[in-house]
Amino acid sequence: MEVLKEKVEEEEAAEREEAAERAERGEKAMWPMEVQKEESTVTQEMLRDLERKLSEIEVSIPEKPSTFTKDPIDVSKLPLSYQSNTLKEEHLLQVADNFSRQYSHLCPDRVPLFLHPLNECKVPKFVSTTIRPTLMPYPELYNWDTCAQFVSDFLSMVPLPDPLKPPPYLYSSATVLKLQKGNCFDFSTLLCSMLIGAGYDAYCVNGYGSQDLCLMDLTREVCPLTMKPKEAVQKEEKAPPKKYAIRPPRDLSSRFEQEQETKRQKAIQDEKEQRLRQEEERLMEEESAKTDPLYGLRVHSWVLVLSGKREVPESFFIDPFTARSYGKDDDHFLGIESLWNHKNYWVNMQDCWNCCKDLVFDLGDPVKWEYMLLDTSKPLLSLTEGDDSEMSEMNDEDDVENLGKEDEDESFDMPPAWVERIEISPEAFETRCPNGKKVIQYKRAKLEKWAPYVNTNGLVSRLTSYEDLECTKILEVKEWFQNREDMLELRHVNKITGLIIDSFKPGHPQALRVHSYTSMQPERDRVMEFYETARVDGLIKREETAKTMTEYYQGRPDFLSYRHVDFGPRVKKTALNSAESNPRPVVKITERFFRNPEKPADEDVAERVFMILDERIQLRYHCREDHITASKREFLRRTEVDSKGNKIIMTPDMCISFEVEPTEHTKKLLYQYEAMMKLKDEEKLSRHQAWESELEVLEILKLREEEEAAHALTISIYDTKRNEKSKEYREAMERVMHEEHLRQMEAQLDYLAPFLAQLPPGEKLTRWQAVRLKDECLSDFKQRLIDKANLIQARFEKETQELQKKQQWYQENQVTLTPEDEDLYLSYCSQAMFRIRILEQRLNRHKELAPLKYLALEEKLYKDPRLVEILKVFV
Amino acid sequence: MSRLGDVEPRVIDDHMLKQAVGEQGPQEEAGQLAKQEGVLFKDVLSLQLDFQNILRIDNLWPFENLRKLQLDNNVIEKIEGLERLTRLVWLDLSFNNIEAIEGLDSLESLEDLSLFNNRISKVDSLDALVRLQVLSLGNNRIANLTNVIYLRRFKGLRTLSLAGNPVAEQDDYKMFVCAYLPDLVYLDFRRIDDHTKELAEVKHQYSLDELKHRENLLQAQQEDEQARREELEEHKAAFVENLNGPFLFESMYAEDVEGSKLACLPGVGELLETYRDKFVIVCLNLFECGLKQQEKRKAELDTFSQCVQEAIQENQEQGRQRIAKFEETHLLSLSAIRDASELTTLETRLVACRERVAELFNALMTLEMQLAEQLEETISLFERNIADLVGLFVENVQSLMAQCRDLENHHHEKLLEAAINTLEKTVKGELDEDLPDDVRALFVDKDTLVNAVGASHDVHLLKIDSREDELVTKVHAWCTHLLDRIHRDEITRNRKRVKEISQYADHAQTELDALECAELLD
Repeated sequence: MEVLKEKVEEEEAAEREEAAERAERGEKAMWPMEVQKEESTVTQEMLRDLERKLSEIEVSIPEKPSTFTKDPIDVSKLPLSYQSNTLKEEHLLQVADNFSRQYSHLCPDRVPLFLHPLNECKVPKFVSTTIRPTLMPYPELYNWDTCAQFVSDFLSMVPLPDPLKPPPYLYSSATVLKLQKGNCFDFSTLLCSMLIGAGYDAYCVNGYGSQDLCLMDLTREVCPLTMKPKEAVQKEEKAPPKKYAIRPPRDLSSRFEQEQETKRQKAIQDEKEQRLRQEEERLMEEESAKTDPLYGLRVHSWVLVLSGKREVPESFFIDPFTARSYGKDDDHFLGIESLWNHKNYWVNMQDCWNCCKDLVFDLGDPVKWEYMLLDTSKPLLSLTEGDDSEMSEMNDEDDVENLGKEDEDESFDMPPAWVERIEISPEAFETRCPNGKKVIQYKRAKLEKWAPYVNTNGLVSRLTSYEDLECTKILEVKEWFQNREDMLELRHVNKITGLIIDSFKPGHPQALRVHSYTSMQPERDRVMEFYETARVDGLIKREETAKTMTEYYQGRPDFLSYRHVDFGPRVKKTALNSAESNPRPVVKITERFFRNPEKPADEDVAERVFMILDERIQLRYHCREDHITASKREFLRRTEVDSKGNKIIMTPDMCISFEVEPTEHTKKLLYQYEAMMKLKDEEKLSRHQAWESELEVLEILKLREEEEAAHALTISIYDTKRNEKSKEYREAMERVMHEEHLRQMEAQLDYLAPFLAQLPPGEKLTRWQAVRLKDECLSDFKQRLIDKANLIQARFEKETQELQKKQQWYQENQVTLTPEDEDLYLSYCSQAMFRIRILEQRLNRHKELAPLKYLALEEKLYKDPRLVEILKVFV
Repeated sequence: MSRLGDVEPRVIDDHMLKQAVGEQGPQEEAGQLAKQEGVLFKDVLSLQLDFQNILRIDNLWPFENLRKLQLDNNVIEKIEGLERLTRLVWLDLSFNNIEAIEGLDSLESLEDLSLFNNRISKVDSLDALVRLQVLSLGNNRIANLTNVIYLRRFKGLRTLSLAGNPVAEQDDYKMFVCAYLPDLVYLDFRRIDDHTKELAEVKHQYSLDELKHRENLLQAQQEDEQARREELEEHKAAFVENLNGPFLFESMYAEDVEGSKLACLPGVGELLETYRDKFVIVCLNLFECGLKQQEKRKAELDTFSQCVQEAIQENQEQGRQRIAKFEETHLLSLSAIRDASELTTLETRLVACRERVAELFNALMTLEMQLAEQLEETISLFERNIADLVGLFVENVQSLMAQCRDLENHHHEKLLEAAINTLEKTVKGELDEDLPDDVRALFVDKDTLVNAVGASHDVHLLKIDSREDELVTKVHAWCTHLLDRIHRDEITRNRKRVKEISQYADHAQTELDALECAELLD
């Protein structure tokens, strides 16, 4: 405060002098608030007019209530920290009030500070305590750009109730996330919390922005997606001229002529540029909207990220509405009142006449930035940049060490945030935009975004580019897809030429990478590119026009690199005109090959041309290392008959060859004949290949149509929510687990329960009772065992008696029995014997096990926690 | 096969070869052509001469490019006459009467050798067959398992058959082979399973380890020797071989009888010691300087050849582009001429074509002449530089050698002094040390002594001089040789290119002529 006072005393005098000057100069006022004051005093009408205009603008923004007050927030459910202030917070508010009073006293011409707006429960809370640094559990949210993008996507924008004043309310970020909407202060508070949590040196800024910025109006911005990435111009490394580099041949052309030529060229170029510039200017004029009457007065809040932490090389602004980053000298940011983070609050004491261009963001400089709390985390004044970082680091460390002790210190530190934890559920994180859809209007472009799985065809974003500013004539449409089963990633439709370019991710069943076409009809202009490593034949690209087909290959064992097929007009044979039933006749096939390093160049064919109608085959061989000419060979495949009627097999004029280094054996007719026979076979093969390629095109087109009609989406096996199969499986597993659990519960029935129930509940057992309990239990068990044995015994006896009776009956009636009855009797006997034997076995086993079971129960009872205390003494 | 009794043994002659080639050559249409033209022996790749009762291999030298030769089921007793068939990959000599493996030393690309059913008792003389993969030695008389160890040197050997030999009767046979030839896949036409391999390895581990150790030692020794040889080669290239030590000094005293005699004089020992040290230091200096200069020369040569290569490449690229461009238009115009019907248009087109060919010829020739000029310039520059380098080196060497001479002179003086002192002592009879008799003989009088010392000195100087001469002449010879080679290379390159260009142009012209003739005939 002392610093402030001193400074202000000095300044007040100076300012009074300057004020007069400034008025004369007619320069833009130092503090935007002054402007407002002047204006407001000048015309109230104008303001009203503006407000009306503003309300008009608000209409253009869909579905928003103007303020939060109408929103149903159940205040009672909010935690205590929301509803009241702790002692420390009260203390802080007092300090803030004090600071504010001093400030308004010393700078009477500036607007009151934005220090403690009301929260959801109408309790004043200091702005710094509203920031709760949080590191999000999503790795995507670790960097500032993705964080900002998330905030801008997740929340929908609500304009400030009064565009010229900071809002009276500032809700907690948790509430804002729940409501999924907020004003610029809510946006920047949330973003700031996330950035500080991620380790950035981030600050919330209260300042003034341009109209576009405050109203999230991007219609005058070029869409970042339409901008073409600048190709990094690689500077060719010019090797230093070597000692023995040959001298270039003497240049004999006239220099004068060259000069004239360049002059002429330059004139043409200039003219062209001039025209372009004029055109551009015209466009600029058209585009630049009418000037904003509230320019420089619109309150906005954004985020400042200072350099230093997280390897940020230079300080920059982030507009939380659009998630764009701007340099400190951007025209959109017109002034800064104050800024704060979770630790402290700083008031800007620098002149903002030139927007934020001249501001120095050295928060340790008390002349430029007036701090509210004497905090040690920022250096007092940085002399050099190197010092700055070191010192701040040191201070940070000190801070951590002194964290506990400093409570009693005279310097007051910031109380912890009152805000609940900022949490984003995975579902919400995936859905991102409210209702999973968001539309952004850019200059000559419209960007629509959807959450994955919202659209059944997997569409996640669409960018429509327009020719004109009014967005009526569509130039091109780009659609991005996700989770498509056919791996379609991007569809680019050029509305003018009608060209459609589909791009696929790796994994399409036909290894398709790019497919550009105008129609899905076969034998039209189209280009298909493939992931050549996924294909057996190494095809990279297949280009088709109405009469030709060109294929490019890579990495084949036969070194084929290129095949060009010329088709002739189709012979009209049948009504069916598909390539499958009636392929077009092949006129010419050109094939090119890469160099096969295993063969000598003279035997390695570089290009072969089958002219099928002429019956001519041309071969061109690869060029030798140290040669400039390559061997050639041309075969004329005419079958003729000589004067005697014999078939001519081979004559020297059927093969015209040029050889770089003539060898003897290639002159032989035999060699030529064999070569020609081989080529004939290969020609057949190539024609077959061409035919197969045509078939494949048809197949791919059919497949694409089917895929387009089905557009199924894939679901990751890790996606527990959507993956039905895994869900069913999981539920089944859970059911099994539950049943298992029940069974176990049953098994652990309490054997003492019926006896304990007889005793009065809630009383402690006496020793006598315990002994009796044990004895009763044991005797009961003994009785059960005996009963069981008796039961088995009884059954056994019954069974034997029955058998005996039957046997008796059999012996009596043996003579008169039919064979069927006898069979019946015999089978009965064997079954009865089996039953008897089993019963006997059971009885024996029971006799064996019964004493053991009895002992086991006794043992268990001795160890029973309810009895053990009492029985121990007894034993 | 011993079928000597039945049919008379034959010798390979022209008739037999021709018949075989005719029978085994191309058939049907191609056969007619072959008959019409005749087949040259050197074009034959595969030849089958089985069941011919051949006794002696002969007259096979014209088959230079033969890959596969079958001589099985004959009565051959000795492997011979195969020296010229260096491209042979497949050789079948099974069912013969061969007793020893020989005459295969030039068949370096042989991969498959069959000597089944012969009378071989020892496996050797196969060292040259580094690519051997399949070796069939079944039904022979091999009795000793050590023959298997010989086969360890064939790293590519995968199939071996030894069945039907006495050696295969031994109990340990299979295990032994598997252990000593671990890379073998098939033994006696059966695949060796991994289990057997493991068992065999365990069984013969000790002897195998010993063998391996010995082999490793041998290999290390060979590598050492190789390295030493390479080092010496390098030094020789720098012309300073044997200068990195006391070799020169020792060679000076090697032929110096008097010098060694004088060495046992009192005080001379120490003298010699210091002299030697100093001399060696100078020699080492010389050595270092030589290596450094060699590196410089090499770097110079490298940059030169690189630059020349680049220039040639660039020029070739230009030439190729020109030809490609020419061919594009030429092919089109040729087909146009073929299709043309009117004689007048044909004439004009032909003329245009001829002009284009001439134009191409001129352009290519200009390119070549330009390159030749440029290269000439560069070569002369290099010539100057390399001569300078050599001159510098020679100067250095001469100054260092002069130091050597100075040392020698100095030593000579000292030695003389010491000798005369000793002489005086002997004269006075004060010498108490015992000297060998032949040394004592020097001290007869002063002249003898001085002569002896002088002779020693002369020998030393001569040695130094001769070493210097050798070095300098060698350097100069290298230099002239190098320059000659560069000039020659450039000339041949130039000739070749000119020939290529004119050949190409001629071909284009003849093609046009043929077309014209054909059209005129029509």
